[in-house]
Amino acid sequence: MILFDNVSKLYPTQNQAALDSLSLEIEKGEFVFLVGPSGSGKSTFLRLTLREEKPTAGRIRVAGKDLHRLSNWKVPHLRRRIGTVFQDFRLLPNKTVFENIAFALQVIGKPRRQINRDVPAVLELVGLDGKEDRLPDQLSGGEQQRVAVARAFVNRPLILLADEPTGNLDPATSVGIMKLLDRINRTGTTVVMATHDQSIVDQMRKRVIELEHGKLVRDQSRGVYGYTR
Amino acid sequence: MRFQYVLSEITTGLRRNLTMTIALVIVVAISIAMLGAGLLIRSQADTTKGYWYDRIEISVFMCNEFSTGAGCADGAVTDAQRDTIRQTLESHPEVDEVFYENQEQAFERFSEQFDDSDIGGIITPDQLPESFRVALRDPEEYDGVVSAVSGLPGVQEVTDQRQLLEPLFRTLDGFQLVAFAITVIQIIAAVLLIGNTIRLAAFNRRRETGIMRLVGASNFYIQLPFILEAAIAGLLGSVLGVIALFVGVELIVGRFIAPNLQFTSWVDSADVWAATPWLLVAGVLFSMLASFITLRRYLRV
Repeated sequence: MILFDNVSKLYPTQNQAALDSLSLEIEKGEFVFLVGPSGSGKSTFLRLTLREEKPTAGRIRVAGKDLHRLSNWKVPHLRRRIGTVFQDFRLLPNKTVFENIAFALQVIGKPRRQINRDVPAVLELVGLDGKEDRLPDQLSGGEQQRVAVARAFVNRPLILLADEPTGNLDPATSVGIMKLLDRINRTGTTVVMATHDQSIVDQMRKRVIELEHGKLVRDQSRGVYGYTR
Repeated sequence: MRFQYVLSEITTGLRRNLTMTIALVIVVAISIAMLGAGLLIRSQADTTKGYWYDRIEISVFMCNEFSTGAGCADGAVTDAQRDTIRQTLESHPEVDEVFYENQEQAFERFSEQFDDSDIGGIITPDQLPESFRVALRDPEEYDGVVSAVSGLPGVQEVTDQRQLLEPLFRTLDGFQLVAFAITVIQIIAAVLLIGNTIRLAAFNRRRETGIMRLVGASNFYIQLPFILEAAIAGLLGSVLGVIALFVGVELIVGRFIAPNLQFTSWVDSADVWAATPWLLVAGVLFSMLASFITLRRYLRV
C-alpha cells in the first residue's frame, strides 16, 4: 500500500537530511505507529506519502501509484484515496459538524444525494449522531477530533494518515480516538499514525516503525514505544 | 450541489473582502474608463484625420496673362502646356483624381467667397488663374506630385493643403500616443491590484483551501471561486467604467466641445456603445487572467 524505496529528502534550507535512504513497506490493512523524537522525519514521511513534497532521491509507491511519475493534475485523485487527520483538527469554525464533513465531499464534486447518505453514516460510525448541527467550538476536543476523523474517512479512503491525532487530548479521550481508528482499521483501511504517545503505543501492540535523524532504527511488529525518555 | 457551493463561496469571499473588493471594482472602473477614453481619443483622431484627408487637395495654378514668375515667362498657359500638365498629373501614381477649373469657374468661386466685400466687384475672370485640383490616393503621399509639376512651363504655383494641416496631424498623433501610454500603465496597475486582492483572498481562505487540497479537490475546483470572484468584480468595475465613459462623453464632448468646435465631427454615445462590449470583455478577461496567474503562484498543489 505504501512503499518507500531508498528515499531521501533534503530541504533546501537545512544541512541534515530529513529522510536518509529510508526503505520500508506498509501492507494493505496494516496499523502502523510511526515514532521517534521531533525532527526524526515522521512528518516528512507523511508529507511525502501525500505528495505534498517530492523526494530528493528514491522511489515512492502509494496506493499502486508511482509518485515520481504522477503528474501534478493527478495528485488530487491520489489524495482522495488518502484520509488525513491532524493534531489541531483543522475544522472550519463557521461550518457545522455536518457541513464540515459534507465539505470534503462537495469539493470533490460528489452529488447531494450521496452526501446526504454518507455523512450521517460516518457520523454514526464516529459516535457523533445527533450533534450534526453543532459548530466546532461547541464541541469538546475529543469530539472535534472525531469530526476530523469522520471527514477523513467519509470518502472511504484506502489509507488513513494521522499526525499525532491525540496530541491535544487527555488520556481518556485519546483512548476513545484510538478505538475509533482501530475500528476504521478493521474495515480494511491502512492506518499510519505518527505519535509521541507512549502509553497508547504500548497498549495497542501494533507494528512500530521508529525513525531517528531520518533513518529507520526499528521496525517491530506488535511493538512498544521503546526508550523511556 | 457544485453550482450552489461555488456560488456561496463567491458571495462569502466577496463579502469577507468587502474593502478590497470595493477597491478592486473602483480600480477596474477607472482602468476601463481610461481604456475607453483611449479608444475614443483614437477614433476621434482617426475621424478628424479622415475628415481633413477627404478635403485635402493639391492645387496647381497655371499662368494667366498677368502672371509673373519663372514658369510664366511666355505669358498665359498654352493648350499644349495645359495638356502636358494634365497628363503628368493623371499618369502620376500618387494621384487619384484631377479636376480642371477654368477662369470662369474660379471667378464664381471667388465671388461666392467674397460676396459681401467690395473686392468682388473689382476682380474680373481673366485676372484669376485657371487650375487643376488634384485629389490624392494616399493623403500622406504628396511630395512626388508637387515636385513633378512644380517645374513645368505654364505652372505658376503649386499649393498643398497638407502642409498647412501638418501640425494638426502631428498633434493628433501625439494624442493617440499619450492615450495609449496611459492606458497601458493603467492596465498594468489594475492587473497588479487584482493580483494583490486575490492573493489576500487566498490568504484569508487558506484554511479552506488547505482542507480542499488535503481531501483531493482539483486545482480547478479550488481556484474557480477566486477566479469567478475576480470576474464578478471585473464585470462590476467595467460596467461602472462604461457608465462613467457615457457620462464623460455626454458632458464634455456632447455639451461642451461639439457645439463649440465644429471643424470636425466628434465622438458621441454611439461610439461608446460600439466600444462597450469590448470594454466589458476586456475588464472581465483581465481580471480573470490576473487572478489566474496569481493563484498559480500562491495556491500550489
